[in-house]
Amino acid sequence: MPTSRPDEVLNNVRSMAERSGAAEAETYFEFVRFVEVRYREGEVELLQQSAITGLGLRVLRDRKMGFLYTTNLNRTVLDELVVRTIALASQATPRDENRLPDQQFPPQTNLEIEDPYADRITPQDLIVLAKALEDNALLVNKVKTTQTARAGYVVGETHFSNTFIPYQTFRNTQFWLYCSAVATDGTQKRVGSFTDRKRNFQDLTTPDRVGRKAGERAVARLGAKPVPSARVPVIFEAEAAGGFLGGLFGAFSGLNVLEQRSFLAGKRGSVIASPLLTIVDDAILRRGLGSRPFDGEGSQTRRNVVVDRGVLTRYLHTAATARRDGVNPTGSAWRGYDSLPAVGASNFYVDNGSSKLSSMIEQVPNGLLVTGTAGFGFDLAAGDYSQQVEGNWIEKGKLGRPVEGITVAGKISDMLTGVDAVGRDLDFRSQFCSPSIRFKELTVGGA
Amino acid sequence: MAIDEPISRRDFLRHGAVLSGAALAAGASGLSWLKPPDADAAIMGIGKELRDVLNLETVNQILIEALKRGGDFADLFAEQRFRTMIVLDDQKIDSVTYGYPRGAGVRVFFRKQTGYAFSDEIAYNDLLDAAHVASAVVLNQGIVAPVDVRARVLTPPFSVMNPVALMNENTKFDIIRRMDAAARSVSPKIVSVRIEYQDEARDTLIGTSDGGYAIDRQYLVSIGCSVTAVNGPDRRTGRSFLGGRVGEDYFLRRDPEAVAKDAAQQAMTLLGADPAPAGSMPVVIAPGWGGVLIHESFGHALEGDSIRRGTSLLSGLMGQKIGSPHLRVIDDALWPNGRGSYTVDDEGTPGQRTVLVDGGYLQSFILDRQSAFLLNQKSTGNGRRMSYRQWPLPRMTNTYIDRGTDDPASLLSGITKGFYAADLGGGSVDTTSGNFNFAVQLGYLIENGQRTKPVRGAVLIGNSLETMQRIEGIGSDLQVDQTRGMCGKDGQMVPVGVGQPTVRFASITVGGTAI
Repeated sequence: MPTSRPDEVLNNVRSMAERSGAAEAETYFEFVRFVEVRYREGEVELLQQSAITGLGLRVLRDRKMGFLYTTNLNRTVLDELVVRTIALASQATPRDENRLPDQQFPPQTNLEIEDPYADRITPQDLIVLAKALEDNALLVNKVKTTQTARAGYVVGETHFSNTFIPYQTFRNTQFWLYCSAVATDGTQKRVGSFTDRKRNFQDLTTPDRVGRKAGERAVARLGAKPVPSARVPVIFEAEAAGGFLGGLFGAFSGLNVLEQRSFLAGKRGSVIASPLLTIVDDAILRRGLGSRPFDGEGSQTRRNVVVDRGVLTRYLHTAATARRDGVNPTGSAWRGYDSLPAVGASNFYVDNGSSKLSSMIEQVPNGLLVTGTAGFGFDLAAGDYSQQVEGNWIEKGKLGRPVEGITVAGKISDMLTGVDAVGRDLDFRSQFCSPSIRFKELTVGGA
Repeated sequence: MAIDEPISRRDFLRHGAVLSGAALAAGASGLSWLKPPDADAAIMGIGKELRDVLNLETVNQILIEALKRGGDFADLFAEQRFRTMIVLDDQKIDSVTYGYPRGAGVRVFFRKQTGYAFSDEIAYNDLLDAAHVASAVVLNQGIVAPVDVRARVLTPPFSVMNPVALMNENTKFDIIRRMDAAARSVSPKIVSVRIEYQDEARDTLIGTSDGGYAIDRQYLVSIGCSVTAVNGPDRRTGRSFLGGRVGEDYFLRRDPEAVAKDAAQQAMTLLGADPAPAGSMPVVIAPGWGGVLIHESFGHALEGDSIRRGTSLLSGLMGQKIGSPHLRVIDDALWPNGRGSYTVDDEGTPGQRTVLVDGGYLQSFILDRQSAFLLNQKSTGNGRRMSYRQWPLPRMTNTYIDRGTDDPASLLSGITKGFYAADLGGGSVDTTSGNFNFAVQLGYLIENGQRTKPVRGAVLIGNSLETMQRIEGIGSDLQVDQTRGMCGKDGQMVPVGVGQPTVRFASITVGGTAI
């Protein structure tokens, strides 16, 4: 039976849409291969080897937008769906900014986001890695079992074209190691986990270290207790600071700003943070987990500085929100085959500062080191922050007993301007990263 | 493990990265994806029925292949969905989406080990391949013959007349536009209204190696309304929700315009609200969506996978006292029109009502087939999956604290200084330590037995076992929210209902800024 090439498929679907009355059409096709081993208590619990395919089609007619996605590429089904989607789109409201990007840029190169090792690694290799994760976690004293130990990788292929931009494509890979260990002291059970993710296999932290870190984190949580409520300096250790940054991301979204759903609306060009803070969204970072040659609607990707030494320099946009805001696109559209383009983070990070974490701690007479956060906590429209955290109490510049069952809270604008130290321990293990950050004063809610 | 309101588009993208972590597919290599399929779909007038390809005979053959190397159990799960999504923002219908995901998967489990493979094509040969791949989890155990499947007559727990998902599209647009206008009419301070409408019709077909063969259809609709009000430098968002497995008559009982006004009113109330208090204090939680609390605190910890692994704080506590003597907790897949309701779960077991906790004593876990098998019990009909790309996990359906005997109004009396949680956001839990959190969207101070000033959102946190011992009163005003719950676990999102009457706790830690 005949097998079509992706560029032919995209071409066919697009012309089908254009024949059915779409003035502009965009096709986005994904092929993703995912392999993961989950290992626990000496045996493989699960071996996943999946491959998914899906097609998204965006159509515009009279500046009205419709979208369809499907995993079924049968011609008659597609034909029916296309006609229906165009009819449905006629019910939408025309918007002047509803135009597909029409300028073709050469895709960014030298990103090194694909590692050919993904084509050679075997499930057996993954089993060896996952076993090493668990074995090393169990070597840590008081670690009795694991929740899971996982090793895996994903290979993604993106194929894109629209009425104006001819077919373009890229491949990318990601490898990961994840271990979640359970420690017990007889009365309490506590979990600690550690994960590393990289584009290139050889950049991964060794499984021995990942497993051991997970175990050590679990043990560090044993005996944790709440502290009384207080207003004190709070340091977010790098990983927790990255999580905080992830929660903050939506405030930089052009759509949220335009629709008054971000506390940063109307603040472009103003000081919103301490001069120690520079925040970047870099889509062309070499080997970056969020790097890609072009964005979800074919726009050129780039490095966007959003906060430059405390000053809000720009918001992040899709083609449509950039047009509404009257600014240049930032190449920030993210999507899957089953979703419309929306503003998303590439490699969103706080740039390294100059402080050592140990000296940041030494300078605190009485305060908190946050090593982990959990759950929801951001009201980005209001600019309020309140979240469950765990960590260690700091007494007279020394790291003291483990704490849990507490919250930290603050007004985000006060928190950002009150940053009085930024570490130099930035480590790209996620799309949201930060060095350790010290906030001058937050409210700790406790016993 | 977390529960949240319907995920926004941005979150959906983020989750997307997780949920592609699906399963094990046959024919994964190369570009064999554009084969002319043997079967088309039959939903919303497109294509044919699932059973045209997956009849009793082909399902038997696929299950025989799945158990060719042995195993304790195998099943085939086929699914097709037709989804409609409409977004209104900035007073405009911003986008309209049709989604048509469709495929099938084969699972084999042998003790603790699971093999799963799926195909985006519902074609006999592809599924035989999938069965072969899934069977690889079992090594040299010898052939097991599945019981021949027989069509089962299913009794749905309720019927949905004129499902909203099948309504004329103009009617859907009309409801959305009316909600927008209603929200804006509340105050000139309303600057932004976003309405996200989503519905789906979902067909499933399940064949199991113990002889089950079931076909089902489910409808679901969710409408989220988010309203922002601005006053000088202050900006606050209010939210409200509509939905469930409902028909058109639902809108006669829940007026969409009134619901949209609730969101606007909440934003206005928050504009004048003070910062929330910080620290441990008496807390009263409003009925309905407040059930997020029981979902996070006990619900997840009762799920069979962490129970059988021994990593849940409730492992080994069957029959023990784990909560206040007033506490009765139920998981009910048969709740009329519930988001979490179904006739059969996603591995062919009929849905049921299960008492999890009674009089404070642990009565039952939440089990799927594999965890039940490993615990030597029977499935409680809680095997659910996000789609055909995932294998089932033990999951909640509609989970609630049952009604008590206290007059809800009396539950505030005697509290000198406390916190009333009127509307909540999402929550999450660590099932090993039992530490949980959930966000409050709108709160009030309780002063001298009265609900007084509105205060802004803050997170509430606690430890499951400690908090559930601290229940001081349970109202008679049970409500189960069926409009918004999306529960995430291991990258799989499923719709759930949560509920409770008004409940009073001796103390919970409130994460505000005012000390």
